[in-house]
Amino acid sequence: MSIIKDVQSGRKPLKRAYVAIFLWFTGRAIQAAAKVDREVKKEFEKLPENFTFSLGCLPDGPWMVVGREKGVVKYLGGDSRGRPVQVRLAIKSLDAGFLILSFQESTTLATARNRLITDGEIPYALAIIRILDIVEVYLLPKLIASLAVKRYPSWWTPARKFGGRIGVYARTLLGI
Amino acid sequence: MNSAAVFAFTCPVKTNSGNKALENLPVELAGLNAVNPLVVANARAVGPKAVRTLMSAFGDSGMTLGLFEGVTEATDLGVVDHLKNICLEKKYDAFIALGGGKAADVAKVLNLAVSLKTPDARRLLPEAPVRKRLLPLVVVAAAGADGLETSQLACLSRMVFSSEWLAPALAVLDPRLARAKNGIQMAATGLAALGRAVESHISADQNPFRKAYSFAAIRFVRENLLSAVADPGNRKAALAVLNSAAMSGCAFSNAASGRLHKLGQVFYDLLGIPQGVIMGMGLPLVLGDALREGRYDLAALFQPLAGDDAFAQTPAEKRPEAALAMLNRFLEDLRSVLGKELPKSLREAGVPGYRKEEILDVLGQDEDGPYLRGVVERMADGERERKG
Repeated sequence: MSIIKDVQSGRKPLKRAYVAIFLWFTGRAIQAAAKVDREVKKEFEKLPENFTFSLGCLPDGPWMVVGREKGVVKYLGGDSRGRPVQVRLAIKSLDAGFLILSFQESTTLATARNRLITDGEIPYALAIIRILDIVEVYLLPKLIASLAVKRYPSWWTPARKFGGRIGVYARTLLGI
Repeated sequence: MNSAAVFAFTCPVKTNSGNKALENLPVELAGLNAVNPLVVANARAVGPKAVRTLMSAFGDSGMTLGLFEGVTEATDLGVVDHLKNICLEKKYDAFIALGGGKAADVAKVLNLAVSLKTPDARRLLPEAPVRKRLLPLVVVAAAGADGLETSQLACLSRMVFSSEWLAPALAVLDPRLARAKNGIQMAATGLAALGRAVESHISADQNPFRKAYSFAAIRFVRENLLSAVADPGNRKAALAVLNSAAMSGCAFSNAASGRLHKLGQVFYDLLGIPQGVIMGMGLPLVLGDALREGRYDLAALFQPLAGDDAFAQTPAEKRPEAALAMLNRFLEDLRSVLGKELPKSLREAGVPGYRKEEILDVLGQDEDGPYLRGVVERMADGERERKG
């Protein structure tokens, strides 16, 4: 018997499932928010036509791909193969992804702790982070959203917040 | 700051420290072009939980790792040769040393033997120059580290291998592995780091890069070691001590081998006493002599030890004495927490007279031999200050 054992790395199915579901829902919510929220719409308009970005975990996913086609923002699923991706936001590990997406660490804190790799233009990546922050404010209650974003937008009117939330949730669930 | 007109500094070690730092390993290894790493561990020293934690960090990476957890204090070049043959056969392309001390030394020498494809590792000689970049080495520091993990040295079979290429490419410091078994293990890590950092900091040849590392290492020890020793479960303090050990190794690699390091190394090699325990014993003696001789810049120690305010308030000519007094007070505080666990003398450490003679014989072969033998004689009975 060899004194060196071969050990196959295990799996983390629960964390993987959580991250995959979160990314799937957030991807659809970005598509919805681009139609409901003026600020998100404006951010996307500043991005080039056919702009595509992905967010996910290294080394083996899951991923979320969102793109702009003919002026319309679309969630393009979890596989970017066959599409040129202009900005790739890669979280270094599934565990780091779980920390961020379960709101134990905000995006800014995770960036400061070197958990994210940005592959692409920094201004575009910053626009994506701003969009993600707005979407998280719509999707999450204030208590949780405050943990996820750098600064909770207390200046939003109730009409924008609650009206937008209904719109984003409805469109996300219906996929429109 | 005075600095020499010409100096060199090399530190190829990247550091990943903090919560879930281990989980970055698959990505970091990919960045080093490694897909088939071998983990080298002393399972008895670090415990099975540490091995499990490391292995679980690779979850979902799809990698297959080799695991050798049989490193012991008796591991020698013969074992390294056997491992080398298996590594060449299985084509391992990186090494991960889990834990400090012997595991890191074995991983470094194994890396040397595998990278150079040495026909017989038992014939490796420290004098032979290493002119080739070796395979990537990652050091995952755990409780019991001594700071030499991040250095360019490897000590095996009473031989000291030294090369820039022996230093790890990456050091990973994760709070889950920082928790020590007891206070004395933590104290040994901190004192080894303190001893090497102090010697690097006051070394005669000035080097601002090295001082940046040694300054931070001394301050980390000063601010965190007491808390970490009093409560080994304090993850924040324990991680800070591991960080200081890592920084002291980087500083030490760029300084001449100091007297405290030599003392610690000889006692560890021959008797297995943790280096930090011996270095803590010898620190007041060696620095007391340095103060009298006026050979070293002891004043430079005052700022990292006392803080910026006290440094600014103390006149420059009083800083050497103040630094030494502060260091002695720090060691006393440490002893008051640990009691008899931290020996003041070789007698309290249980070193029998005949083993002391053996130590003196080995030290006699060193260029600092006469001085170091004198220090050992004074350490035997716990003399704190030279009389007269």
